[in-house]
Amino acid sequence: MAETKENYDLTPRVAPNLDRHLVFPILEFLQERQLYPDEQILKFKIELLNKTNMVDYAMDIHKSLYHTEDAPQDMVERRAEVVARLKSLEEAAAPLVTFLLNPAAVQELRADKQYNLQMLKERYQIGPDQIEALYQYAKFQFECGNYSGAADYLYQYRTLCSNLERSLSALWGKLASEILMQNWDIAFEELNRVKDIIDSKSFASPLNQVQNRIWLMHWGLYIFFNHDNGRTQIIDLFNQDKYLNAIQTSAPHLLRYLATAFIVNKRKRPQLKEFIKVIQQEHYSYKDPIVEFLACVFVNYDFDGAQKKMKECEEVIVNDPFLGKRVENGNFSTVPLRDEFLENARLFIFETYCRIHQRIDMGVLAEKLNLNYEEAERWIVNLIRTSKLDAKIDSEAGTVIMEPTQPNVHEQLINHTKALSGRTYKLVTQLLEHTQGQAAR
Amino acid sequence: MATIASMLASTQNPFPCFREPLYSRSRSVVFRSYLEPCGRRIRTIPRFIRACQPSDKVGGEGGSVSASAKSYHFGNELLSFASDNFLPLALVTGVGMGFANPTLGCLADKYSLSKFSTCGIFIISGLTLRTEAIGAAVKGWPLGIFGLASILLLTPSFSRLVMLFQLQPQELVTGLGIFCCMPTTLSSGVALTHLAGGNSALALAVTVASNLFGILTIPFWVSRYIAGGVGVSFPTDQLFRSLIVTLLVPLIIGKVIRESFKGFANFVDNNRKLFSRMNAICLSLVPWIQVSRSRSLLLSVEPKVFLAAIGIGILLHLSLLAFNALSIRILSGLSGDYNSKNSKGNGTAVLLVASQKTLPVMVAVVEQLRGAFGEPGLLVLPCVAAHLNQIMIDSILVNVWLRKSNASSSTDGGSDSEDESDIEEEIQEVQNNDINNRYLQDNSDDDDDTDTKRVIKPTKDKRFEEMTHTVEQMKNAMKINDWVSLQENFDKVNKQLEKVMRITEAVKPPTLYIKTLVMLEDFLNEALANKEAKKKMSPSNSKALNAMRQKLKKNNKLHEEEINKYREAPEVEEENEPEDEDDDDEEDEDEEDDDSKEAVTDEEVDETTDTRWETMLNKKDKQMEKLLSKDPKEITWDWVNQKFKEIMAARGRKGTARFDLVDQLTHLTKIAKTPAQKLEILFSVISAQFDVNPGLSGHMPIKVWKKCVLNMLTILDILVKYTNIVVDDTIEPEENETSKPADYDGTIRVWGNLVAFIERIDTEFFKSLQSIDPHTREYVERLRDEPMFLALAQNIQDYFERMGDFKAAAKVALRRVESIYYKPQEVYEAMRKLAELVEEDEEAEDAEEESGPISSFIVVPEVVPRKPTFPESGRAMMDLLVSLIYRNGDERTKARAMLCDIYHHALMDNFGTARDLLLMSHLQDNIQHMDISTQILFNRTMAQLGLCAFRVGMITESHSCLSELYSGQRVRELLAQGVSQSRYHEKTPEQERMERRRQMPYHMHINLELLEAVHLIGAMLLEVPNMAANSLEARRRVISKNFRRLLEISERQAFNAPPENVRDHVMAATRALTKGDFQTAFEVLNSLEVWRMLKNRDSILEMVKARIKEEALRTYLFTYSSSYESLSLEQLAKMFDVTEAQVHSIVSKMMINEELHASWDQPTRCIVFHEVQHSRLQSLAFQLTEKLSVLAESNERAMEARTGGGGLDLSSRRRDNNQDYAGAASGGGRWQDNNMSSGYGGRQGNNRSGYGGRPGQPRDWSGQNRGGGYASRAGSGNRGGGMQMDGSTRMVSLNRGVRT
Repeated sequence: MAETKENYDLTPRVAPNLDRHLVFPILEFLQERQLYPDEQILKFKIELLNKTNMVDYAMDIHKSLYHTEDAPQDMVERRAEVVARLKSLEEAAAPLVTFLLNPAAVQELRADKQYNLQMLKERYQIGPDQIEALYQYAKFQFECGNYSGAADYLYQYRTLCSNLERSLSALWGKLASEILMQNWDIAFEELNRVKDIIDSKSFASPLNQVQNRIWLMHWGLYIFFNHDNGRTQIIDLFNQDKYLNAIQTSAPHLLRYLATAFIVNKRKRPQLKEFIKVIQQEHYSYKDPIVEFLACVFVNYDFDGAQKKMKECEEVIVNDPFLGKRVENGNFSTVPLRDEFLENARLFIFETYCRIHQRIDMGVLAEKLNLNYEEAERWIVNLIRTSKLDAKIDSEAGTVIMEPTQPNVHEQLINHTKALSGRTYKLVTQLLEHTQGQAAR
Repeated sequence: MATIASMLASTQNPFPCFREPLYSRSRSVVFRSYLEPCGRRIRTIPRFIRACQPSDKVGGEGGSVSASAKSYHFGNELLSFASDNFLPLALVTGVGMGFANPTLGCLADKYSLSKFSTCGIFIISGLTLRTEAIGAAVKGWPLGIFGLASILLLTPSFSRLVMLFQLQPQELVTGLGIFCCMPTTLSSGVALTHLAGGNSALALAVTVASNLFGILTIPFWVSRYIAGGVGVSFPTDQLFRSLIVTLLVPLIIGKVIRESFKGFANFVDNNRKLFSRMNAICLSLVPWIQVSRSRSLLLSVEPKVFLAAIGIGILLHLSLLAFNALSIRILSGLSGDYNSKNSKGNGTAVLLVASQKTLPVMVAVVEQLRGAFGEPGLLVLPCVAAHLNQIMIDSILVNVWLRKSNASSSTDGGSDSEDESDIEEEIQEVQNNDINNRYLQDNSDDDDDTDTKRVIKPTKDKRFEEMTHTVEQMKNAMKINDWVSLQENFDKVNKQLEKVMRITEAVKPPTLYIKTLVMLEDFLNEALANKEAKKKMSPSNSKALNAMRQKLKKNNKLHEEEINKYREAPEVEEENEPEDEDDDDEEDEDEEDDDSKEAVTDEEVDETTDTRWETMLNKKDKQMEKLLSKDPKEITWDWVNQKFKEIMAARGRKGTARFDLVDQLTHLTKIAKTPAQKLEILFSVISAQFDVNPGLSGHMPIKVWKKCVLNMLTILDILVKYTNIVVDDTIEPEENETSKPADYDGTIRVWGNLVAFIERIDTEFFKSLQSIDPHTREYVERLRDEPMFLALAQNIQDYFERMGDFKAAAKVALRRVESIYYKPQEVYEAMRKLAELVEEDEEAEDAEEESGPISSFIVVPEVVPRKPTFPESGRAMMDLLVSLIYRNGDERTKARAMLCDIYHHALMDNFGTARDLLLMSHLQDNIQHMDISTQILFNRTMAQLGLCAFRVGMITESHSCLSELYSGQRVRELLAQGVSQSRYHEKTPEQERMERRRQMPYHMHINLELLEAVHLIGAMLLEVPNMAANSLEARRRVISKNFRRLLEISERQAFNAPPENVRDHVMAATRALTKGDFQTAFEVLNSLEVWRMLKNRDSILEMVKARIKEEALRTYLFTYSSSYESLSLEQLAKMFDVTEAQVHSIVSKMMINEELHASWDQPTRCIVFHEVQHSRLQSLAFQLTEKLSVLAESNERAMEARTGGGGLDLSSRRRDNNQDYAGAASGGGRWQDNNMSSGYGGRQGNNRSGYGGRPGQPRDWSGQNRGGGYASRAGSGNRGGGMQMDGSTRMVSLNRGVRT
């Protein structure tokens, strides 16, 4: 089982598309779930940290990994180096930083970027060099793990920056910072900003654009599964043609998240059909219990298979860093998404099942729904009560009997012709308007 | 699903854009770039091009042969006969025209054209009259005099005999009578004498003399014999005078012109044939005019009478012949001792000349008679016939003689008449009693009596006599500086020499001959020295001079010693060391050639080079020999360079032996002084090797091809070893670039284009495979050469990559890709193994070649590996090459590489990857703009993709890939695997040739039977349940038109024979499947032969079986659902031998898709069918509503069209409506669904055609292959989606396709 868990772990596929810093939450999660040996994760962490400036953190990990109190020499040296560099950058950016810290001065800034630049230059002797330094400083702050500082500086930088490329990368930095600070609302705004830029900007090669989209989607995962409204938005974003293309070409593993979102989100049913087709196309390139579940229900009508997949899905969700977010309720921890998923999946199965049956044995149904008999009965009754299901329970035979769904012929006829009179009426009024208009002229 | 289709606009697309128009003819591009390297070295490019397309050249040559007077040089018997018989043909045509349409002739008569034409005849006669020759005739004077006498005095008396005949109208006989009085013919007599090998000079002399004297005698004889006979008084004086005016004066004028303008004479001599044609035409004008004038009269003549007249004419001629032959024999008998040697020639001449009568003079006379003897037309007509007869009879006679003498020896028009007569005589000596040589009988009789020894002696003498005679003639020619005749005579002498040597059995040529040679040489040198005189020479003369020089030089070499001896012994002359002279001469020669070339026409240039070449070759051999002994230091760069240029200058010229050129150049590579030079020459060698193959259709000889590859490898060796040498085709290198030594510091630029070469080599390989019969061993052998090419391509690619020229590397890589992509892994393995084996052999060969006679100055070690290296799998290799191409190639290269890549993926059963690549590349949108070979590649790829889809069990995909291919019944053509005959339009030969050039070699073929089987089985699996589902409205939803058609045909048959071909099998299976009999269906399909082509046949058949069961189940349900109230799951599973789960899944799918109106009863595990048939009234009501909505819509549209402005609102609403329908269709009730979806079917059809029917598509070669079919693949690919959903989704996808 452990093996399959690892098989379903997407970290190796997701990580390359993330910022180094963004990987840490995932690693933390994995460490917690103990999917991998601790040591392996710790080593991986150190490796990650090597390229960042979070030397202290690295040293801590090193210590816990090797159970020593001595940090390796190179780390100590690197620390000194980092500190020195921080100082120098700080100095370079100092004029601008002081300016920005002064609320009165900041008041003077206007919406006009050109004006601002000129003003800064004339009044505070702050030229492009200093602005550039600000960027570097912010970047360095980010590297050091000071995300809030980085986010602030990057925000300021963007108001002053004239270089589009730089501006975009500052935006990415801001997004990363917000994600890491878990400011989901702001992060979501930033995400949309980045998205607009990616979609509107003309990239040198389409490949680049795709890459950017994929990054965006990966980074977005943090937001979508934490933001309140995220599950709708993930569908909005991922299900756009351009993004779906990107998923299909380069990152089919993202289908898992999209599929989950579809299952969980009831409002997006209409798009589901399209999505099912995508799944069918991609089934050769990517396999995932969640995706397969959808295929079972909507493509093969293999309800037993769906049943099995549902169990696997549970595992997957719990072990997925994005999906398996825990909510601590006292000492009772739940994975809200899992419950939601199971409920909806059950509904999916049942719905489809009902569509093709006229009489269902309650026992079988209960089994199919992963419930016991009473629960199933209660569940169905609830459905019937909320008029989600047009059926009756035959308690004696222990069956559910579906009401025929065939619409009445007359009803159909009426539906069919109802629009006609309206159309004709409108046509006539238009005609009249037209003639009147001509007559008036 | 639309996502993938629209994906490509934005995303990682190996080909971002395909917008710029691609080359229309790829081959030509390759070709052009190949041509260029050679083009530069040649002075005139057009000529070169002509050389490259020798088919044109051959045509041109043919034309010039018939037009130019030189034809008799090459002419065989037939040709000369035909051209000699131009006159009769012209006459007949003239008469015919006169009969056919008299008006024109009458018009011509009005302007007295006949008078002019008569004058014209004689002016031309005068012009062509060569008096120089007359001297030669003096020797045969006794016979000559007899001939004259016979013509002028004796034969006219025959008219008496002729006049005895009585015919109605009498004019016919009178005409023949007048004809008898005429002198001999001007042209045909001499020509025939030529032909018969008689003494043509004598014939000419007799002709001229008789014609001159004839003017005097004709009036006399006519008044004497004929006027008396007819009883008409005859104006003798008048006739005499007018004859002088019309005959003699023009003749003299012509002659004077000829004599006074030397150039004109030469021109005439060179175009003798032309003038004789003109003469003939003028001549034919007379009968034409006469006949058309008196047509009505002529028509009144009974054919019998006319035939009789002709008979009289023939009789007359035969009697004349007999008479003359007899007289000549008697005469020769009288003077037998005197003229034993050339009497026969003279005899022939006189016999022919004396027996013939001239038509032109006759015409002139009749013209002058002004109807004194009756209608001129009637007079002339029998004479025309008689003239034709005499020419024909004599020609036959001559031919009989010739055939008798030697059937195999070709008759050269005139130049070796002596020779001919010799042969003839020899034969006669054997066949003494031949009737035809009675005029020589006594001569032979003499021989008969004596013994063999005596026979030899006179023959030998005779030979010497002839030779002296020719030498005399040559001397004469020298005096008048007539190189044309000199040249002719020289040839003659050489031939005679052979005979003399044969007879005398001597080793040495006679002194006479040597003397002549010396004399000639001196004269030649003298002539060459006198440059001014040379310039004044007429072109033909100077041409002859040049030719003569070549011949003489060549010839003299054979007799060097004797000449030297002769020079030393009798006369003290300067010592000539011919060899040294040769080189100098050669230099002069080149210069002179260049000088003269300006004046000389193209043809002549060709000829001079032609002859020059022979000498060059000779010299070459000698130089090679010399080189062996020569100190290598004497060979300088300059010398080699100069030689090289000389050889290159000859390239592409007519008559250049292509193989020799290659040999020479190869030799030069061995003596090249610097690596750069060697390289340069090697390039030329390869170009020359390409030239060896003439024409576009033929392929290069395989041997040459191999050598070519080796040369390329050597080039690479040099390039790799001397890295400072750069090959470039953009910059014209400096003159002495290649003189830079190997250790030169800077870069050395050498002109060349490796890519073009490798492409050409590949093309040649391809072509050779195209034309070799694939069922022979040769083909297999040829295929074994592929590793050789791959090795070369690999090396070149490596080289380019090292040099950083990735563009070129990509091109080369494409060639490699194209030779690999169609190979499955097994074949690839085999090739890998073969490559290792083959190379060992080849190395041995190489070693042999290296140890050849001359070791080259620049020895290049084999730096470049001769063995291709192959990665483990073909896929790995493809990936490697293809990624290089994607990075660096141009659009076309990339497109082709992409297609190959897709093909290979499909071959490896990676359908998903292949499909994604295809969709991402957007190739199907652009393919119709590409060149045909790429389109073919695309078609092949689609076919392979279809097969692949089938193999992996994706029937729908497979069908959609293949259905386009099979829509037009032109699969063979589309895949370039054969030519399909079209009943409706004939292809032009050009088209056919083009098509043949495009054909794929056999080993690359996709098995058509397999393809057809796959296509039809796919169609069957889709169509059978579809038909069952829509049995009521069969026409509505057709998935495969092709399949439907075939099914109809097979259903129409009264009896079904056991299946024979693929089609029959599938049809039989279809019949079984329609009945739900999956067992039979599968068995029929299983018996197909084609399955053995498949690698994992069992699993595929298993898949087919499973699919058949499934479709059988579906068909069964569709067909019989109305008969059941409920149906148990178990029973179904048992019936179709499917697991219950599968049945459940299939049936559920059908229920969900509303194909089947039923639902499960879970506790009893039954299908319960719902009764949902509409009553008649209900369906009518639905039809009504349907029509209503159509009406409303058309109203709206009309309104929209009229008002315009309101349209936006309406149309948007309509779109909404559509969507409503779509929603209803997928989610709504079942019958509404039916109606709606059928409505959709139509609309969607429109959409499709709108999308697929791009402009220019129908005529496009494979344009129709594209279409929207594949774009809609994703939609139809959804089997679960089923048919109904399918419709709407497809529409969506199409809409998106349009939008993106």
